Amino acid sequence: MDDARREEILKKLSDAVVEYDEDVAKEWSQVALDEGVDAFDAIMNGLAAGMEIVGDLYDKQEYFVPELLMCADALYAGMNILRPHIKADGMKKKGQVVIGTVQGDVHDIGKNIIKLMFDVGGFTVHDLGRDVPLENFVSEQLRTDSEIVAMSAMMTTTMMGMRKVIDMIKEKNPNVAIMLGGAPVTKDVADLFGADGYAESAGNAVQEAIKMISRLREMHKK
Amino acid sequence: MTPKERIEKLFKKEPIDTMPVFSGQGMVTIQAIKKMGIRFPQVHTSAEYLADSARITAEMFGFDAVIIPYDMCTIPEALGRGVSLYDKSEDILYPTVPYKWEKLEEVTIPDDFLKRGRMPMVDEAFRILKAKQDGKYAIGAWVLGPFTMAGQVIELDLLLKGVKKDRERVLAFLDKMTDVVIKAAQHYQALGADYVSIRDMGTGTDLLSPRMWKDLIQPNLVKIFAALKSPTVNHICGSTNLIIEMMNECGADALSVDHKNDMVESRKKVGNDVLIFGDFEAYSTLVQMETSQVEGVIKTCIDKGADAVWPGCDIWPDAKKESLEAYVATIRKYGKQPSPAVGRI
Repeated sequence: MDDARREEILKKLSDAVVEYDEDVAKEWSQVALDEGVDAFDAIMNGLAAGMEIVGDLYDKQEYFVPELLMCADALYAGMNILRPHIKADGMKKKGQVVIGTVQGDVHDIGKNIIKLMFDVGGFTVHDLGRDVPLENFVSEQLRTDSEIVAMSAMMTTTMMGMRKVIDMIKEKNPNVAIMLGGAPVTKDVADLFGADGYAESAGNAVQEAIKMISRLREMHKK
Repeated sequence: MTPKERIEKLFKKEPIDTMPVFSGQGMVTIQAIKKMGIRFPQVHTSAEYLADSARITAEMFGFDAVIIPYDMCTIPEALGRGVSLYDKSEDILYPTVPYKWEKLEEVTIPDDFLKRGRMPMVDEAFRILKAKQDGKYAIGAWVLGPFTMAGQVIELDLLLKGVKKDRERVLAFLDKMTDVVIKAAQHYQALGADYVSIRDMGTGTDLLSPRMWKDLIQPNLVKIFAALKSPTVNHICGSTNLIIEMMNECGADALSVDHKNDMVESRKKVGNDVLIFGDFEAYSTLVQMETSQVEGVIKTCIDKGADAVWPGCDIWPDAKKESLEAYVATIRKYGKQPSPAVGRI
């Protein structure tokens, strides 16, 4: 395939994400496969590249959370078609992550966006869902030997639970990286709780997620 | 001037002796709960515990108002969505809604929802507060705004995406939620609430664009405030500077914002005649900071032009006793000066 056609297909995938058009994302993901575009290339330089543009639009306050959610849906729609076709050496599993919202919190938009980041990044994601009893994070980390535990709390009232989980996990395995997210979570809170990273809102989460996707894309190019 | 008179006059923008200490969000403290010899989950299921914990908190710390209920699930539960009370938990966990409607077409609002779930318990708590506090404190009530209430009873991403993809049905659903909010708030007013705050807190511009706010949120809030008697408060947390003028057009007696709002900018936009309440971050100020830092935070709210210093969200029940005392003392100390919209005797 010539470069021009590859670029055209990648642009269509990117545009489908930016314009939150799931049908177009599916259609062009199939075109990519049919015409021999590498599936990993299509995800990273098509769909994920579109998500970077979405991040810019969010920064400029042209897009808000409803748009982000729909863009994420378009990205997943394409990725579900492409991912089974990734060559074994194209996207080695990067690691495992346990993710969920803590007990007392039933809001999971931020969590789902961060999950997307891990999915795109090639992680194996163990999604515990929402309103998750604290001990389940600990047992799931031990069961799967995941390198990362990501927890979200949208409300101040549930945030305190995260500290307990961090203490329990770090006690058993100090090398596990802990990511916290949610509206009440500030850098001070993350530091205080002994976490390794944080994002303070769904919007902030997507910005963080997009930054990580960008870094993954850069690494892949090298 | 009694606490109740102080708040009544504040809402009428008549001169008062000093700034009242109150809010439109939960203010119950663990100190009051411990004094009663009960556990946090118990305050949500007993009218006496609910009323007494509010009253004892006000007495302990010198607040000017009591406000109930504390959790956001009383109405969703009455709409049939259930409630998780976490009554075995040793942590402070507020109740949540376990069963959300998964599709818009499933939504049905029972005509008698005010009589379902814990709503009669809340009614009884209002009656107890009326009887026991003898007109000393103002009694506050709050109801979630339609969009935030919608997010409690239906999957939030369905709602947010539906705003774009399924507009007509989402609008019809928000109409239903608006009617629920009006009925509940009118009911609380009939039970004797001296002020009602409508908290459509999930609608700041962190989530929705100003254009979407004008289109989807404002018309319903206008309808709600037109249906309620004064005084009322329009509370939205998160980023609100881009929508503060539209908030002011909704018809409430006062606006309440949180620490993400630049109140100096808001004042410039809406003028000195509008009551603005805010805007300190309750958790960081009263739980995390050293008590010696509290005075600075509270004084800054007054200096920026708050007519009443309100926390942006519920006061975390486990706030430090000394920090709560510093919060009250600072308002008493610096609240003797007039605020932009309210003079002093």
